[in-house]
Amino acid sequence: MTSRQQHAEDRTAALAGHDTAGPRVRRRTAAGRVQEAHRHRRTQVGRPVLVSLAFLAPALAALLVLRLVPAAMAFASSLSHTSLVTGETSFVGLGNYATLFADPTFLQSVRVTLLFSLIVNPLQIAAALALAVLFTRRFAGVRFLRVLVILPIAVPPAVSAAIWSVAYRPDGLLNSVLSVLGIPPQPFLTSPGQAMWSLIVLLSWIGVGYWMMFLIAGLQDIPTSLYEAAAIDGASAWSRFWHVTLPLLRRPLAFVLVANTVSNFLVFAPVQMLTNGGPQGSTNVTMFDIFTRAYTVGDLSLAQAEVMLLVLLVLAVVIVQFRLLRGRD
Amino acid sequence: MKKSLALVSLLAVLAAGCGSGGSGGGSASNTLRFVGPEDPKTFQPVIDGFQAKNPGVKIAYTQVPFDQLNSTLQQRLAAKDDTIDVYTVDQPRVAALATRGFLVDLSDWKDRVEQAALPAQYDVNVHNGKLWSVPIWTSGQFLFYNRTLLKHAGVTSPPSDPAKRWTWEQTVEAGKKAQAKAGAQWALIPEQIEQYYQLQSLAESLGGGSGITGPSMLTPALTTDGWIKAMTWYRGLFADKLAPRGVGSFQTSPLFAEGKVAFFAGGPWDVGIFSAAKDLDWGVAPYPYFADGKQVTPTGSWSWGINPASENQELARKFLEYASLDPDGNLLTTKATTIIPSNRAAFQKYVPVLDALGGDKSKGVGAILTYDADHTAVARPTSVGYIQFEHIMTKTFADIRNGADAKTRLDQATQELKTAWAQLR
Repeated sequence: MTSRQQHAEDRTAALAGHDTAGPRVRRRTAAGRVQEAHRHRRTQVGRPVLVSLAFLAPALAALLVLRLVPAAMAFASSLSHTSLVTGETSFVGLGNYATLFADPTFLQSVRVTLLFSLIVNPLQIAAALALAVLFTRRFAGVRFLRVLVILPIAVPPAVSAAIWSVAYRPDGLLNSVLSVLGIPPQPFLTSPGQAMWSLIVLLSWIGVGYWMMFLIAGLQDIPTSLYEAAAIDGASAWSRFWHVTLPLLRRPLAFVLVANTVSNFLVFAPVQMLTNGGPQGSTNVTMFDIFTRAYTVGDLSLAQAEVMLLVLLVLAVVIVQFRLLRGRD
Repeated sequence: MKKSLALVSLLAVLAAGCGSGGSGGGSASNTLRFVGPEDPKTFQPVIDGFQAKNPGVKIAYTQVPFDQLNSTLQQRLAAKDDTIDVYTVDQPRVAALATRGFLVDLSDWKDRVEQAALPAQYDVNVHNGKLWSVPIWTSGQFLFYNRTLLKHAGVTSPPSDPAKRWTWEQTVEAGKKAQAKAGAQWALIPEQIEQYYQLQSLAESLGGGSGITGPSMLTPALTTDGWIKAMTWYRGLFADKLAPRGVGSFQTSPLFAEGKVAFFAGGPWDVGIFSAAKDLDWGVAPYPYFADGKQVTPTGSWSWGINPASENQELARKFLEYASLDPDGNLLTTKATTIIPSNRAAFQKYVPVLDALGGDKSKGVGAILTYDADHTAVARPTSVGYIQFEHIMTKTFADIRNGADAKTRLDQATQELKTAWAQLR
C-alpha cells in the first residue's frame, strides 16, 4: 500500500467514525505533549521567557540606547526653545511646531518633498522593474549590461554628485552633447523648473540598478513552469507579465517600494552638493531643511521638531503603502 | 541595506541633535588642536615658529573645507567637544558665537590688542564690551585684469591710482569689448560670486546700507533703493552672459588664471595665485564703484578664538598671543598664502612683499591696499543674527544670479530673516 492509499483509507475511516492506528497515535502524542508542557510550566515558571529575554537583551538594549532614547530626547528637545541671545532654554510646548507651520520655508520644503516623492518613487520603481524584466531575458551581452546598470552602486553618492555637478554646469558635458544634437543649452541646476528633474535623473542613475537587483532576484524565483503553463493556455506576453510575473513579484516589489520611498525621503548629499536647496527653494527637501536649521543656523530645537514631523510623514506614507500592498491571500 | 542606511542617517540627526558629548580629551596635554578652513600649508610656518619657541609643544591642525566649516563648528562646539582648542572665527560671526558660549572671554587682552592691531581690526572682535577673539588677517579687494585680452580688444588698462579708480559701468563696457573683439569668454567675474563679503560693497556703493539695521542690529533692511538697484545690476551681469551661472565661489579664480576672463574682482590671496600662473599676463587696479554712488571696498577676514570646552586654555592663549600680538608670529601666518596681516607692525613689513610678489604685474597693490584700508573699506555688520543673515543672503544672491527678480527676491529674504531672527528671542 502506498502512503497515498493509506492516507485516503485513514480519511475514509475517520469520516465513518472509525479510528485508525495512524491518527490515534498522533492524537495521543499531541495530548502527551500538552500535558508535559503543563507540568513543565508548573515547575519552572517563566524560565523560557527569561532565557529568550537573555538572548534578546543585547538587541533590546541596542534598540533602547540607539533608537528609542534618542527619539525620546529629540521629542523632548522639540518642545523647548533655546534663546540664541540669552542662551536660556525654556519649555515652549508645541511652539516649535506652530513656528514651523507658519514658516513659508518649511511649508515649501514639505511641498517640494511630497512632489519629489510622488515623481521619483514610481519613476524609479518602473525603471527598475523594466530593467529587471529586460535583464532576465537571454540575449547577447546581457550580463555585461547588467553590470553597467549596477555599477553606480559602487560609487559613493557624494562622488556621483560631484561628477554630475560638472556635467550639469551650463558649460558642462551635457550641454556639449546637446549642442552636437542641435538642441539649445539647458540651464539644469540653475533653473527652478529643471533643478528637481536634474536631481531626479541623478538619483535614479544612482538608485535604479540597486533596486533592480532585488527585482531580478524575485523574478528568478518565479518557476518557469508557470510561464510554460500560461504559454500553453495561449496567454500573450503582456498577460503573462500581468497575471504571472506581477502577482508573484509582489513581495520583493513591496520591499523595494517601501525601502525606496524611505531612502528618497531622506535624500541629502546630492542636494547639499548640487543645489543647496535652490534655485528659489525648488530643491529644498525637508531633510536638507532640517540640516540647515540644525547646523547652519544652529536652531536645534526647531530642527528636532522638523525631524519629528518628517518621521511622522514617512511613517504615514509607509503605513499606507503596506496596507495597499497587503496580500489578498 | 539602503533602508537601514537611511534609518541610520535619520538616527544620526536625532542623536547628534541631542548633543552627544565630546570624546577624548581629559587633562591638558602638550598637543594643541587647531581647526580652520585653510590648506595645512598655510599655517605650517606659524605652527613651526610657535613649536620652535615652545619646545615639546605640538600643534595638530585639522582642515575643514570652508563650505562645511561653520556647520562643523556649530555641531562640535554645541556638543562641548573638547577636541578643538583653537579655531578660526569669521569676524562678523564673533557676536553670534560669543552669545552661544562658543568663545572664551579674552577681555584682559583688550588694550594689547587695540594697540597691536590695525584700526578696524579691534572692534570686530568686541561684543557687549568684551573681547572674544584676536585678529589674524584682514583683507581688501582689487580689480584684476587680463592684459592680453584688453590689448587685443584695444582697451586701455584701468589705472592703478586709487584716486582714478574705474566705475562698474566702465568695467562692464570694457569687458564687453574684450568679449566681442578679443574672444574673452567672460567680461567680469566677482570671485565670491554668491557671498555677502563681496556683494555687500555693491549695495553700499549705491547707498543701500549693509542690509541690517536697528538698535540691536536685528532688523532687515534689504529693500532699500540701493539694494534693489545693485542687485538688478548684478542679475544683469549673468542674464547678459557677462559672468557665468552655475560656477561656485571657489571655481572662479581658476577661470581667470586660465585666461578666459577680462576682469576679475578678487582678494590679496589671488596675487599669489595669479603670480604662480604661467602664460598669464595680468595687472591689478583698485576695486570699482558705481558711477552715481560712493567708493566702497570689502574688508574683514579671520580672527582666532578659544573653545571654552578646551582643556588646554593656557597653551591656547599662548598660541593666540604669538599669532596675533607678536608681529613675527602674525607675519608667519601670511608666509604661504598672500593675505593681509592684522598686526600693524606685520602689515608695515608685509605691504612691500606683496607689491613685489608678481613683479611688474602686482605693482601698486600695496598702495591700493593701504589707501582702501584708510578710505573706502567697509566691514560686514556685527549682529547676533549674522549667521542666519549670511545663510539667507547666500541663497538670495544665488537665486538672483540664476535669474530671480531682484526686488521680489529681496522681499522674500526680508521675510525669511524676520522668521529666522524671531527664533533668537
